[in-house]
Amino acid sequence: MDYGPNAACERRRRDAMRLKDKVAVVTGGAQGIGRAIALGLGHEGAKVAVADLQADKAEAVADELNRLGAEGLAVEVDVANEASVKRLAQKAFDRFGRVDILVNDAGVYLKASVVAMTEENWDRTLNVNLGGNFLCSRAFVPSMRAQKSGRILSIASGIAHYGAKEFAPYAASKAAIIGFVKSLAREVGPDGITVNAICPGAANTAMPRTHRTEEELMARLRANPLGHVLEPEDFVGAVLYLASDAGSYVTGQAINVNCGSYMT
Amino acid sequence: MNKVALITGGGGGIGGAVAHRMAAGGFTVIVADYDHRAAEQVRAEIVSAGGKAEALSVDVTQAREVKALVTDIANRFNRIDVLANIAGGSIYTKRIEELTWAQWKEVIDLNLKGTFLMCREVAPVMQRQKSGRILNTASNYGVTGSALRTPYAAAKAGIIAFTKTLAQELAPNGILVNTVAPGPTDTPRVMEKESPDARRQRWSSIPLGRTGKPEDLAEAFYFLTTAQSAWITGQTLHVNGGVVMP
Repeated sequence: MDYGPNAACERRRRDAMRLKDKVAVVTGGAQGIGRAIALGLGHEGAKVAVADLQADKAEAVADELNRLGAEGLAVEVDVANEASVKRLAQKAFDRFGRVDILVNDAGVYLKASVVAMTEENWDRTLNVNLGGNFLCSRAFVPSMRAQKSGRILSIASGIAHYGAKEFAPYAASKAAIIGFVKSLAREVGPDGITVNAICPGAANTAMPRTHRTEEELMARLRANPLGHVLEPEDFVGAVLYLASDAGSYVTGQAINVNCGSYMT
Repeated sequence: MNKVALITGGGGGIGGAVAHRMAAGGFTVIVADYDHRAAEQVRAEIVSAGGKAEALSVDVTQAREVKALVTDIANRFNRIDVLANIAGGSIYTKRIEELTWAQWKEVIDLNLKGTFLMCREVAPVMQRQKSGRILNTASNYGVTGSALRTPYAAAKAGIIAFTKTLAQELAPNGILVNTVAPGPTDTPRVMEKESPDARRQRWSSIPLGRTGKPEDLAEAFYFLTTAQSAWITGQTLHVNGGVVMP
């Protein structure tokens, strides 16, 4: 970075397409926060593989990216399945030749009290939310190491810090992601790869709607110091900061984007 | 209308880089520093790079000086969009039994009281305009502690809690308050005390394998002034190469 004479104009130019020629993979990219991130990365010039269990919705996001003038590729993936993640990596490399940014956003949000929680739902939550982070990171770290650069971003949750009644496996999986992020950051830091988590506050997406009435949800979403209802797009800024050169000395951190509802 | 960023410690290593970054981002920058020559130099650099800046003197530990500074800026510019409290420092590396009461107070005042005094004067200006960003500076030592720096670590931990509290107080006015916590950073003040060998030695303990540059910090401060961080408040952003992961 250079702040010498004439840096001002140069800087403003660079601010526009911060991720030009970079390649990103976004899991859970078909809807909600993942979709917003995929589009936000594309807007900054990145080529984006939109990876999701919901192939048709992923296709729609890839189409949106292409219409933006960015390059989008839809890939069907089950992040909790080793072979499926391997295929995702293969498709991303075949199409784009490299991967610079991995955003681990795929997750499930299953409700039950601990006493009533089935083993199947526990396993599914941990396998998708946490295991997906492991499998996807493992798939892309070797090429990032080889190119001596890379950014891994995991979407955790404020629930990792404050818990949530009847969402114990979700809270456990999200807190575990933060532990995983810190450890991976230590492992891959010497190779110029940063690993960070973003902890969104409750947001206006499909996910919480599976368990709440519309009225309950909106009241809950507004109940934060800034009185703002968080939308999926509201998390994109933090992702871009961490994925761009600006965030190159930040690693192993969990960044709260939650309107001040929780301060770590 | 130009947005105005007031930066204390703007003549220093991190403060200077932040001043340059804000100017490059289109702010009119008020470079405030105890050391007027340092502030003047940063101002001149910004102006010669095509930015807008002004240099002013202030001792942030003096309530009267702080009030006069903020009143002057508010009168002339009619707004303060960003306050970055960067003036600070550990000053002493001493065992607790060697630390005088006067020295203790000197470190607490420079870091914590200075931040309080600046916020107290600037907050009403931001409340009137119903917007603003306040950025305080902590340190990874505010989380981990640091032998021989008891007052500094205490002050920096205090800044983190002060920030969270002020964020709650000012949220209804649309004002965001956050802390940036630098880790090991290559500022002249730090580098003159450490041999190149000692620095290289230190790199091995940093996950990213290098010390931070003032520009790394400047990017973090700048991020927290943009629309990209509109929903982040009361938080501590650690920019430290992975040295501390709280």
